[in-house]
Amino acid sequence: MSARDNILGKIRGALGRSRPMTETEAAALRAKLRDHPRGPQPAMNWEPVSRFRERCLSLSSTVDEVATLDQVPAAVGRYLAGSGLERTGVCWPEYAGLNWAGAGLSIEARPAGGDDKIGITGTYCAIAETGTLMLLSGPDTHPVTSLLPETHIAIAPTTRILVSIEDGMDLLRRERSELPRQVAFVSGPSRTADIEMTLVLGIHGPYRVHIVLVTG
Amino acid sequence: MRVGLFVTCLVDLVRPRIGLCTLDLLEGAGCDVVVPTTQTCCGQPGYNSGDRKAAQVLAKKVLREFADCEYVVVPSGSCGGMIKAHYPELLSEFPDLKPDVDRLVARTWELADFLVNVLKLEQVPGRFDGSVTYHDSCSGLRELHVKSQPRKLLSKVPGLTLKEMATPEQCCGFGGTFAVKFGDISSRIADQKCADIGGTGADAVVLGDLGCMLNIEGRLRRRGDSKTKVLHFVEVLAGTRASDG
Amino acid sequence: MQVQSEKFKAGAAKSLNNPHLLKAMGNLRNRMVTGRAKSILELDNFEEIREAARATRDLALANLDYLLEEFERNATARGTNVHWAETGKDVNQLVLDIARSNNVRKIIKSKSMLGEETGLNHFLEASGIEVRETDLGEYIIQEAGETPSHIIAPAIHRTKDEVSDLFHEKHKLPRKTDIAEMTREARMVLRPHFLSADMGISGANFLVAESGTTMIVTNEGNGRMTTTLPRVHVAIVGIEKVLPTLEDVAFILRLLTRSATGQSISNYLTFTTGPKQPGDKDGPDEFHVIIVDAGRTKVLDSNLREALRCIRCGACMNHCPVYQNIGGHPYGWVYPGPIGSVLTPAFVGIENAIDLPNAATFCNQCGVVCPVKIPLPDLMRKLREKQVERGLRPRSERLGLKVWAWFAARPTLYSALTRIAARLGHWAGGRTGLIHSLLGGAGWTRDRDLPAPQGKTFRDLYAARARRRI
Repeated sequence: MSARDNILGKIRGALGRSRPMTETEAAALRAKLRDHPRGPQPAMNWEPVSRFRERCLSLSSTVDEVATLDQVPAAVGRYLAGSGLERTGVCWPEYAGLNWAGAGLSIEARPAGGDDKIGITGTYCAIAETGTLMLLSGPDTHPVTSLLPETHIAIAPTTRILVSIEDGMDLLRRERSELPRQVAFVSGPSRTADIEMTLVLGIHGPYRVHIVLVTG
Repeated sequence: MRVGLFVTCLVDLVRPRIGLCTLDLLEGAGCDVVVPTTQTCCGQPGYNSGDRKAAQVLAKKVLREFADCEYVVVPSGSCGGMIKAHYPELLSEFPDLKPDVDRLVARTWELADFLVNVLKLEQVPGRFDGSVTYHDSCSGLRELHVKSQPRKLLSKVPGLTLKEMATPEQCCGFGGTFAVKFGDISSRIADQKCADIGGTGADAVVLGDLGCMLNIEGRLRRRGDSKTKVLHFVEVLAGTRASDG
Repeated sequence: MQVQSEKFKAGAAKSLNNPHLLKAMGNLRNRMVTGRAKSILELDNFEEIREAARATRDLALANLDYLLEEFERNATARGTNVHWAETGKDVNQLVLDIARSNNVRKIIKSKSMLGEETGLNHFLEASGIEVRETDLGEYIIQEAGETPSHIIAPAIHRTKDEVSDLFHEKHKLPRKTDIAEMTREARMVLRPHFLSADMGISGANFLVAESGTTMIVTNEGNGRMTTTLPRVHVAIVGIEKVLPTLEDVAFILRLLTRSATGQSISNYLTFTTGPKQPGDKDGPDEFHVIIVDAGRTKVLDSNLREALRCIRCGACMNHCPVYQNIGGHPYGWVYPGPIGSVLTPAFVGIENAIDLPNAATFCNQCGVVCPVKIPLPDLMRKLREKQVERGLRPRSERLGLKVWAWFAARPTLYSALTRIAARLGHWAGGRTGLIHSLLGGAGWTRDRDLPAPQGKTFRDLYAARARRRI
């Protein structure tokens, strides 16, 4: 008997069953798995975009806003200059065609490596309740770009700011036939309070998260 | 109103004055109070020590002794909690007793709860010229939801000012036999409670449980504080003219 | 991890005399307790969510076999290798086998309490593989050769100065005193390990049955790195961690992060389904999930089952007056505080952790804050009952209880005994009304006086009063 059989056998014994559940017995559970109802949510009566901004700031992310995608490079250039940061970095391929050079930036369209200081990504959607970015892994949406660099810049259309994580999951279920390898919910710069409970921003993940909202 | 007084073993042995104040207050409010004389203990020491059988014997005894009171009133959150929150589980092995257990649970009241929500007491005979702080005993608070009732009653005492401590709901460290078995930890927790009490500058700490009372007073005195009074709320409500027998 | 729970009392005494620990526990309370209280105000229906969380965890436990098979089916369909391990030893061996078959020389780990249970790091290191903890707190205690003292903040017992000394010694860099600088130094030291590790080991906060997904909740980024960068990723997870759907995870997370650290959300919620997909430029080539029993089926089959609802938030210990004063080490194993007082005897044997369920006041602060309503004091009481049944209590205690119960059941004898005790006790209190020492009661009287009885029992006073009124 395999470990699997032993463990499942012991579980069934503990639950008073001598054999696996029949489909009839499992009907309610199957329905739940199929329908995946939401659990209770708190009242969320705020306007999503302003809520998203406010939550991002409370997490020590920074937020900027532009009207159209082609205005993004200039906004990013201003942010990097204003914060005294590097002007070279990497981005997801979908942003390769933006005029980075025009903004004085040198951005390569490839996954981030260990030495890259700036990583520019998009987002699958954004979550207003908590100031969170939802990022999916994929051939052109590399997780490392939002993870390895010291500064993560995320381009997020305001049309894809949703209320809750549950909304994000609904969207994913509608738009994709299966989950990607990684679904990451990112809420601000990395942090730790492991030394004397003193909060420090920037440990293994990015020190900074800068979000550029695109309203158009 | 026929009220059975469950006086509790600690009140009986150490602070009978609390029992007499309770009697005075209830009778003064028009209750016909009976005190079943064979009562001894609710069984909590055995129950919390893991000796179910001993606890069951005592619980069944309580069931019999208080069978014919309209109300059973207990000047202790922990004994009241033992009856209301734990007797059903403790006696679950005796399903034929379930109706009696349910009836007892429904009729049992912690004293402050009874005074506010059944007797709806508006005036009290006592007077206290000074400030007090109130300690929320864990069982009373978390098993019986006693929180606002004692404060409401104290607000009716002429001369009394209530000053809340920083963490009134924090355990005092008594925990029954824990206080002796793990005395160093227990004393440390008690010490923190005493510091909190001292921080209010109140003349007295008032509470509703004798375990907490002995623990807090014991630590206060050993810390060198002989001034802060430690009182059961019923002593404050009944006043000093109440009886020493 | 080696069990040291039999040293609880000595450990507690040591803790109580450690002023650094007292300060550290104060820091913990300020952050975690105050933080939680503030953050749950954001949820207008907190108790409703809490009840739903309890119900969902119970549903999962009641259908554990079905859901684990569902998880396995869905995970395997996405290319995950699913393994089952009955004991801690099996876990260690499985991980080693996976490492060996993949020529793994260096492993990075993000936090896994289950890994602590099985002693995974020591086992792998003894087999010649380098293992690097990456969670800052776990890294600190690994370097210090210690065990964690809290399940969320494992190095809470360490002062800043101690960490400064440790880093100076281990990193061979100028000694830092600023916490932000020390954190930056840790990042710098650990970053190359992330990039050069062959394998990443993580735990999992939850397994999602409907999609074959594992998920972890972190703040540092090491969790994302461990599950993305190395070519092999192994997740080790207890059987009890399964939930039916993604939506179940989403709503329970609102309680988990607030209960743990007072955060509305943790920095990184990472849901992993399968290894690298075709076209992906990053991600592990192989993803293994090891589903672990290690004593959990036994708990499932006992009256302690509710403890398996635990989502490892740490709220119980943060709010426990005992833990707040002695910290985690006296508990002697992986899980401290109230949940530790239940899981330790359940997993390592009641006889090996006798003091733990007894070192509690039953104040129920823990039960009130537990996001999944585990009735912790009730479970500790059940362990106390087990100890009595198995004759594990000290003779003096058994005798004392028997005497008490015998008298309490016999009112006439009881009233005679208490009459004497009241009078004697009153006399012992003297003028001050305080007893300073008591035979057999040193646990009380070492640091406290005992208020003396007033002299007569209520029973006698009442009887006298009744006589006067006739």
